[in-house]
Amino acid sequence: MKMRGFTHYISGLAAVTFFPSLVADLRMGILIPVIAAAAAYFPDFMDFKFGKFLSRRDYEIDPAPWDEKKHYAPKIVKIGELSEANRYQFFALRGIVREVLTKGSGVLSYSVVKEDGTVETVSEEYKSVVFTLDDGTGRITVEAFGDDYRFFEEEFGKIEEGKEMLVFGYIDVDDEGKLELVVSDAPHPQGIADTIARAIEEAYREGERIVKIHNVRLPGDVYRRFWVHLDPPKREVRVEMGPIVTPGGVSIGGEVPEYRRYGVAKVGVPFIKTYPKPTRVDSFSGPEIAFRRSEFRGRKVVKDRFLPWHHGFSHSMTMGLIIAAVVFAFFKLIGYSHALDLALASMIGQWLHVFEDQLGFMGSNLFPPLTKDVIPGFKLGESGSGLTNFSTAWLMIALMIWNFNRFTQPRPIPVGDVELLLLLIWPSLIGFAIAVIKSFQLRREVSRLMDYYTNLEAFEEMEEVGGI
Amino acid sequence: MLPVSQLILWSLIGVVFGSLISWIPGFHIFNIMALLVAVFGVGSLMPVSAFPFFAIGSIVAYAYVSAISSVYFSVADESAVFLLFPTQRYLLLGRGHEAVMLYLIGAVTGTLILVLSAVFIFPKVLPPIYQATSPYITYFLTAIVVFMFMSEWPKEGDRGRGAGERLWLAWRQILGGIAVFFLAGILGFAVMNTNLLPSTSAYTRLTPMFIGFFGMSWVLLNILSNPPMLEQVVDDRVESSHYNIAKASFGGALGGTIAAIYPIITGGMGALIAGHMTSQRGDDAFIISQGVNRVIYYVGAFTLLFLPDLRLTRGAAAWLVSSVYTPKSYSEYLAAVGVILLSAGISFLFAYYLSKGIAKTFRVVHIKRLSYIVAVLLVGISYVLTGPMGVLVLFVSAAIGLMAAAFNTRRSYCLGGLILPVLISMTGHTGTFMHLLGLG
Repeated sequence: MKMRGFTHYISGLAAVTFFPSLVADLRMGILIPVIAAAAAYFPDFMDFKFGKFLSRRDYEIDPAPWDEKKHYAPKIVKIGELSEANRYQFFALRGIVREVLTKGSGVLSYSVVKEDGTVETVSEEYKSVVFTLDDGTGRITVEAFGDDYRFFEEEFGKIEEGKEMLVFGYIDVDDEGKLELVVSDAPHPQGIADTIARAIEEAYREGERIVKIHNVRLPGDVYRRFWVHLDPPKREVRVEMGPIVTPGGVSIGGEVPEYRRYGVAKVGVPFIKTYPKPTRVDSFSGPEIAFRRSEFRGRKVVKDRFLPWHHGFSHSMTMGLIIAAVVFAFFKLIGYSHALDLALASMIGQWLHVFEDQLGFMGSNLFPPLTKDVIPGFKLGESGSGLTNFSTAWLMIALMIWNFNRFTQPRPIPVGDVELLLLLIWPSLIGFAIAVIKSFQLRREVSRLMDYYTNLEAFEEMEEVGGI
Repeated sequence: MLPVSQLILWSLIGVVFGSLISWIPGFHIFNIMALLVAVFGVGSLMPVSAFPFFAIGSIVAYAYVSAISSVYFSVADESAVFLLFPTQRYLLLGRGHEAVMLYLIGAVTGTLILVLSAVFIFPKVLPPIYQATSPYITYFLTAIVVFMFMSEWPKEGDRGRGAGERLWLAWRQILGGIAVFFLAGILGFAVMNTNLLPSTSAYTRLTPMFIGFFGMSWVLLNILSNPPMLEQVVDDRVESSHYNIAKASFGGALGGTIAAIYPIITGGMGALIAGHMTSQRGDDAFIISQGVNRVIYYVGAFTLLFLPDLRLTRGAAAWLVSSVYTPKSYSEYLAAVGVILLSAGISFLFAYYLSKGIAKTFRVVHIKRLSYIVAVLLVGISYVLTGPMGVLVLFVSAAIGLMAAAFNTRRSYCLGGLILPVLISMTGHTGTFMHLLGLG
């Protein structure tokens, strides 16, 4: 459970209200105590406004580079700019048809990854056209087949020499090592899978590799969704290209044909996954994943760490102490009479943030430098749970009203403290109770999945019996 | 109180007036009401005690029918704006009518929540809660502004070539947002505290500024960019779920209520808070929650003027009405609740059929032409209300509104034009700022 920003922030606002001196200041229009709310949000502020951009990237996977002016893919490139490094990336080319090489039909065979992870080979008849395109900087072979041929035919009609067109697809390399453009509406996932597999193998040898995976943004502020599955028992990385979705996650169609939906890359070293779900990449921005060599059950393995710049030192209790010291020193220096209370409120705000995040999956290293490792989260709920977010935020609102009432004479709400508190917090209590009940089911599911994702033996067993 | 027949008549006239105005991009019912009062005066048009009910009809109509302008007449050229609103995306997919339907589902739900709350919850719960929290309004307001800055999501930093470039691209947007807020704030401070605009425009002196920030910058973006006018599907079916509707309604009601009760906090700010609190996701949910939010924010805030034990003046329309007539009795409060229901029914039908008509004829007139006409009208309104200096304020504020678009930052930072001067005033620093800006 990763709480939303405002939930952390409001925790800081609520922390302030436990200090009568700060409440009195607020009543007089002194707004300095807002600092405590900023302190409560500070860990995410540092991570998402600085850490994210300053962090190292060893590999940058950009399946569909943006057009620099329009900020979406496909980018229109010159043929002369392309190289083998662009293999599987999604681009658009504008040029003139120079020669129609072949046009006809045949049988296409490709591999399909089924629900249970097994791979099946499928054959089907297809129509195709192959021609060369020239844009003045070079010449490239363009190939359209299968479902993409149907789309291509609808869009461009008959392909003739001398015809000018803007065509998009992914770059591939043919048997002779020459570049070609395969007409499609998405990048091929194989490039993503290959790079991640390479990063895992390098991390095993060198210690750490950080991979940045960019998302695929298309015209109309929509995104091509894809999933990255790390499958430790099979020692493979599978990438699945999905539908086009809105930033809100609603699918609007655009499923890719089966023959270019999957990319699979084998990994030659043992690795485990620490988060029991595939990584989904769609709107806003793509993730960074660190692969780190580590010990697991006495063996050398590679572990993944999702968003390595997140939940670092900023999300530790130690940081709370530093914040308290800085706030105290600064406000004492400028002569604020309640600097100590403000420092304590700021520290509590930041600690509440750490505690709230600790209820989820990721966990943090709580007391650096005394502790070195991340303490796993309590797994009380999934990321972005509306129920737990609301319950926490409501609890904070309730505490604020309760404190404001307690510290005002005569009391605006003439009810006893305990009675008022119960009247105010019951929605949160119900919300937390439901979350705890649901968390048992979630933990069972997570535990089952983690058994799979940390299974190092399965691969060796398969190797021994010749299963792979 | 007015006889019931009069009350219904003036409410209906309000609904018709509001409906005819509210679908036009850049027009805000508050501005048009101000224009009406400035040009004609209330007494010559209707009995003063009818004005609150005329206003309710107009505001309800605005809360419903403005969905048309935000769906069909809002710029949707992503080379001009980085992120599209869900409604704009629906329009690009030919599903503009579906977006209006989702909004109307939210608006109807919001109306029901508002009416039930107004009868059973507001009279008992609001007065004590408001009394306990109202001394801390500046705290909430400052906190929300700081949160808006801190939570700005950098849209472009991800693709810079090195760490330094990534950081710059990210912070360019954040700093741009802060600049927009403070520039808007300085303009607002000058408009409120100097004789830049004629003193005769007491109730409308902020109008040209707001028209510039939101209305004029909107139509200018329509003119400057080249949004495609795509064919629209006229189908009443919507893609959503009961769970999404319930969750969006809850979030929308929460955000709308916060914005309605506390001064200066707008519907958008309320929606930001409630969206985080309820962890809202999904385009359908967003549009539905907007419908709920806007009804509760606009209509709910105005209704508080009628609440006998509280009588809060929230929103420009409430200030305008209260300058003429303030409702006094509980029976007027209940009548207002009834009028909300009646007006909502009519506004729903108007918005529904108008959406169908516009969807069918969407490609007949390009939005650019409509935007040119609206731009001229907005200049005209500003001139009538505040004279030539008002037109100057309009252009300056429109430039600030366009700055927000250029930096890919939140348009709501323009609210600095209201928030900053109010915060300065509430904390007793107006004199200091006057000196600082060389204004006094």
